[in-house]
Amino acid sequence: MRDRRNTGLVSSEAPLISNLNIWENVALIKQYHQNMPENQAKKLALRHLERLGLENIADIRDPDLKEKEVFCGMLLRAAMVVDAVILIDRPFKLLPTVMDSTFIYNTLKKIDDLYKQCYIFDYIWNKNKYGTDYAEKG
Amino acid sequence: MTGIIEKTGASAIYITKSLFDTLYFAVKIILKIFDRKTYNSATISVLINQIYYTSVEILPFFICVSVILGTLIMGVVFQAIKNLGLDQYLGNVLIGFVITELSPFVTVMLIALRSSSAINTEIAVMKVNKEIHTLKVFHIDEIDYLFLPRIANGMISLVLLNGLFSIVLLTSGFLFSNIIFGMDMNTYSNLLADSVYFSDMAILFLKCMTFGFFVTLIPVMYGRRASYQLTSIPVSVLQGMIRVFLAIVIIEVLSLIARSI
Repeated sequence: MRDRRNTGLVSSEAPLISNLNIWENVALIKQYHQNMPENQAKKLALRHLERLGLENIADIRDPDLKEKEVFCGMLLRAAMVVDAVILIDRPFKLLPTVMDSTFIYNTLKKIDDLYKQCYIFDYIWNKNKYGTDYAEKG
Repeated sequence: MTGIIEKTGASAIYITKSLFDTLYFAVKIILKIFDRKTYNSATISVLINQIYYTSVEILPFFICVSVILGTLIMGVVFQAIKNLGLDQYLGNVLIGFVITELSPFVTVMLIALRSSSAINTEIAVMKVNKEIHTLKVFHIDEIDYLFLPRIANGMISLVLLNGLFSIVLLTSGFLFSNIIFGMDMNTYSNLLADSVYFSDMAILFLKCMTFGFFVTLIPVMYGRRASYQLTSIPVSVLQGMIRVFLAIVIIEVLSLIARSI
């Protein structure tokens, strides 16, 4: 985690850009950092959204998205960073109605080829929500 | 007495600092405009979208306002020229006053009312929502991605819309010259051609670019100054818009001075 440039943050402190729809939020990282043409970046973002079953909400903006959709959008955006080290900050703040970490781990598993490592930071009193099997990944 | 001096001093310091900040930010943006590294797929997408929102989406409204206002202005101008017996100065009045002064002024007012306030609010809302912080987190330069495309769009849009407004004015000018003075198209275009000077057109172009630059730069600056509280949004828009109108007046005065030299 020495090189902060490859850190992809998923946090309520780094929300999706509200005047961009979900695919534009995901594509933005590739367009800005790798100068990827818009069409190509769009195709890539749509392909990744499809992996999470979100292709039907690709054109929707943050205020109209559900909490799980926002989380997935943020996760994909974080995974777009080159050699991404995803850092998920207090995921249950983004997913207040989710009871445990199953959804988070399942989503991470679906896109595990897109990132190098993933760290989840949360309060100690949320430890029970994660279970012992997932103490550390990467 | 001491209180008055203190207040005057504080106001002078505040105005000087505000002016210095604006100029410093303007220089930073100008340097970025000429830096090739600024432009990438994301900034170009934003620029295209901004041009669409400012120059294309506004077209039906802008054309309607241009036709109504243009006809009204030209009607008044032509009637005044006829009543004062200034027929021989018709070309000079059309180019020197209507095209180089009135047209950019009306255009910049329309852009300021529509786009400057929108940009100011947009940036302030992004600041409050921590979206500008998101850009920093992902190492996206806010100037490159957010501000510069909006400012470049302001400059491009103002030149284009001013051109459109001038065309509408000159067209209604032809109609009035035909009705009031019985002038044909050939005489009218010769009259205009004789009154056009390169220096005036250069100043007009520069003025439009400067208008476009500052009516987008100032809202961006004041939007960025919003705090993380919702209540700071109207305050930043209010401050930004006052500065925008001050800037319009200052640029207008400076262009008049430049033309008189």
